[in-house]
Amino acid sequence: MSKSRHSRIVEILRERLGRDKVFDNPDVVSLYIREPEGISADEMPDAVAFPESVDDVSIIASTAYKYQIPIYPQGSTTSLSGSAVPFEGGVVISSSRLRKIREVSIVDSYVWAEAGVRIDDLNVELAKYGYMFPVDPASSSVATIGGAVNSGAGGMRGAKYGTMRDWVLGLTITLPDEEGTTMFIGCKTTKCRQGYDLVRLIVGSEGTLALVSDAVLRITTLPENVVVAVAFYDKLSDLMETVIEIKSSRINPYIMEFMDSKAVAAAAGYIKPSIRAEGNMLLVGVDVNYEATERMLSTLRDIMAKRALSTYTAQSFEEAERKRLLDLRRSLFPSQVLNARRNLGKDNVLVIIEDIAVPPSKLVDAVEMIKNVSDDLGFDVVVGGHVGDGNLHPSIGIDPEDPAMTKRAHEWFLEVMKIAVKLGGTVSSEHGIGTLKKEGLRMELEAHGAAKALEIMRSIKRIFDPKGILNPGKVV
Amino acid sequence: MASASPLKALLEFLRDSTLRVGLPVPLPMEEIYSWALPLRLPRMGSVILYTGALYQLMPYIESLTRYLSALEGSRVSDTLLRLARILIATPKLTRTLLAPEPARVERARRILTNISRLLSSSGVAHAYPYEDDLYSGVLLYDLGLDDAFAEVAGRVYRKLKEHGASTVITVDPHTTNILRNVYPSYVDGFDLEVVNYLEVLSRAAEESRIRLRGLVSEAVIHDPCFYARYLHIIDEPRKILERSGVKVLEPRRSREATYCCGGPVESVAPRLASKIAETRLKELAEKSKNVVVLCPICYTNLSRANKLGLRILDIAEVVEAEVPGSGSPQ
Amino acid sequence: MEPGEAASFILREYSKCMSCGFCEAACPTLPFGPHRGYGPRGRVRLASLAVENGSISAEGVAGIYTCLLCAACMLRCPAGVDIVGVVRLARELLARGAIRAPERIPLRLVG
Repeated sequence: MSKSRHSRIVEILRERLGRDKVFDNPDVVSLYIREPEGISADEMPDAVAFPESVDDVSIIASTAYKYQIPIYPQGSTTSLSGSAVPFEGGVVISSSRLRKIREVSIVDSYVWAEAGVRIDDLNVELAKYGYMFPVDPASSSVATIGGAVNSGAGGMRGAKYGTMRDWVLGLTITLPDEEGTTMFIGCKTTKCRQGYDLVRLIVGSEGTLALVSDAVLRITTLPENVVVAVAFYDKLSDLMETVIEIKSSRINPYIMEFMDSKAVAAAAGYIKPSIRAEGNMLLVGVDVNYEATERMLSTLRDIMAKRALSTYTAQSFEEAERKRLLDLRRSLFPSQVLNARRNLGKDNVLVIIEDIAVPPSKLVDAVEMIKNVSDDLGFDVVVGGHVGDGNLHPSIGIDPEDPAMTKRAHEWFLEVMKIAVKLGGTVSSEHGIGTLKKEGLRMELEAHGAAKALEIMRSIKRIFDPKGILNPGKVV
Repeated sequence: MASASPLKALLEFLRDSTLRVGLPVPLPMEEIYSWALPLRLPRMGSVILYTGALYQLMPYIESLTRYLSALEGSRVSDTLLRLARILIATPKLTRTLLAPEPARVERARRILTNISRLLSSSGVAHAYPYEDDLYSGVLLYDLGLDDAFAEVAGRVYRKLKEHGASTVITVDPHTTNILRNVYPSYVDGFDLEVVNYLEVLSRAAEESRIRLRGLVSEAVIHDPCFYARYLHIIDEPRKILERSGVKVLEPRRSREATYCCGGPVESVAPRLASKIAETRLKELAEKSKNVVVLCPICYTNLSRANKLGLRILDIAEVVEAEVPGSGSPQ
Repeated sequence: MEPGEAASFILREYSKCMSCGFCEAACPTLPFGPHRGYGPRGRVRLASLAVENGSISAEGVAGIYTCLLCAACMLRCPAGVDIVGVVRLARELLARGAIRAPERIPLRLVG
């Protein structure tokens, strides 16, 4: 964009929003161009705008429409798919000043929160009432409601509670049109048949269809207690047998996480655990009423210990914390960083995290295939994931300054997605399509004979965003 | 809302005052040591109680901050800070000008007196350096004024050695950290053992060398960042409080994960410091009306923002040595 | 620390940052700041840009000096970036004039 046009747009936005809501100095703007996974815009956008109300959002949308400025909604930029990176210049819209929790209604079982509220902050508030919002992406400490809506986020509790699409009741959205049309879609009730389900269309649309200012979310009760068990298995098939037995015993775990032996070794090297951490790890938490604690724990212990090398249990999350049973899982990410640094012999490394899902029954095959592909491409892969819903996060560490390796990493990414499609799974479970997985999305739809779906998606995009200014280049 | 900070002038003021007067706010040294006079502590000894002047300075820093806060954003503040150079030459004028609440000044003296008594009751004899109880230079280090800091650190070390120190007992987290973890890289041949009085006291209590009593029955504890994350002094204050019969309540963010009081930016950005303090106070208030703090900066910043009517107390105002036959706690 | 040494320390620590943003959850100043420069992820980036450019904007300076050095962020950082060290050394470089900065620093607050 030309310098004069750039400064004119910034001036117009400042005039309409107020000076303190628009920043265009390069120092500040450069804080909004990068996502983890090394995804970064080459060209600097013109400005970052900080709306403080729905009206502000509407002003930005109509201004962007009038002057044909690309706009990019952004929360904390933790999608891992590049969906919030401003690749084509224009204006980033940060949700960081939209952080009010407007209403908590226990009797109506919802919370109404603005887009910039962080998930963990929301849960701190809800916990005061004995309630929670159960969608818990690994980044929940910083991930925002708006970002989670846009990326269709999931998390550890996905098997039990589903993902964002199961918890959003209504949304205030703004369209990039002449008026910056703003409206509330959906309901404040769980049951809601409002013609076509626009709410679910927006959830997971990665900011390509409308700007989300606030959301009405379903909430649920906090469990009275969660018992925890961790066990280590020599063979992955033993771990999967255990999972099957847990499910067959009418247990629907609160969380059910797994890490392969390499991930365990890396994490153990990082935290120096107090337990014997060798083999493939299964971590299971089951929500119970207090009175059922002993009974559930002994059932769980029996099932998990049957095939295990070692098994550890805790009566509650607090006890699990004290015994440090959750630490290995928590250090999955940092230990991968350290591992990559050791393997590559440098500080500046990139950890690439995949996000496929396969039917849980195919997990053993999937892990096997992922390992083979990684070996072929010369990557040291570690695999962790949410075993309850078949969501796997294989990851590799690469040197971002090595073009050949970066190219191989892209190949690896594609190969892993192929495995997902082959096994009847999906290329993205909870991180989204962004820019990273457009190829994968096409592949998956074609494999199902649904190439036409992509055309429909593009038509929908044109209806919502006729000028193609809303988060351009993403998803479709 | 935007306002401009007289950052540069402020940095120069802190640096010049510390270099010339030995304190970041130019005060007569008797303001710093007069608390110790009634105790008749020796001037020389291998174990030196070194306060680093932080407790004594805080009431004055608080009034200075109040001035800066009122002027935040105006160009007058630059001018005033330039005028402040005159103060550096006449510390007595500063005292008159800043005129902190006498109760606050008295309180700092009382706390230090109690700390000294607690140490003595634990069987830890100690000397005090009086006019050489200089400021440690923490602020200069934190603000990146390294050359000035190095000079201050060297001077403080020499003074402590002149008083015969081989062990230094510190009384606040910032001074403890700077002496223990930073001085060794800035002072050639630094050879002082640095112990914090909470470490001394909790050990003494554990070994039953002292009997403690508490002046409140329960309180929520606010861990200072520097004890919790830089020094790992976390269990010590809890042990001391529990041994004193004070029930310790934990706020949502406590121990290593404690939430800052906002104090470190109070001179640069006073309104920001207040907002952070208000956030923390709300969290503390969920657990108790009594708040125990362990650091004079935390005390000052939290008290300044205390609109909830909480009772904020330093641990050395809550705990005292039980003297045999002195009766039961109130 | 020598300016050259401080500068390379800052660049090295920034190179470790993957921009995951986990540090921001713990930062007391970020929620009251006008932009990410008032949080750890932003500050580390601002410091490295300042070293690269030899200068920094007034907004950048505000970010660097509003840090509490409370180190809460460092508990969360999966990459082990010495965030406090970076901020302090950026201040040192600013104080020495090794990084050029505007005279007047705006301090903006929100919320």
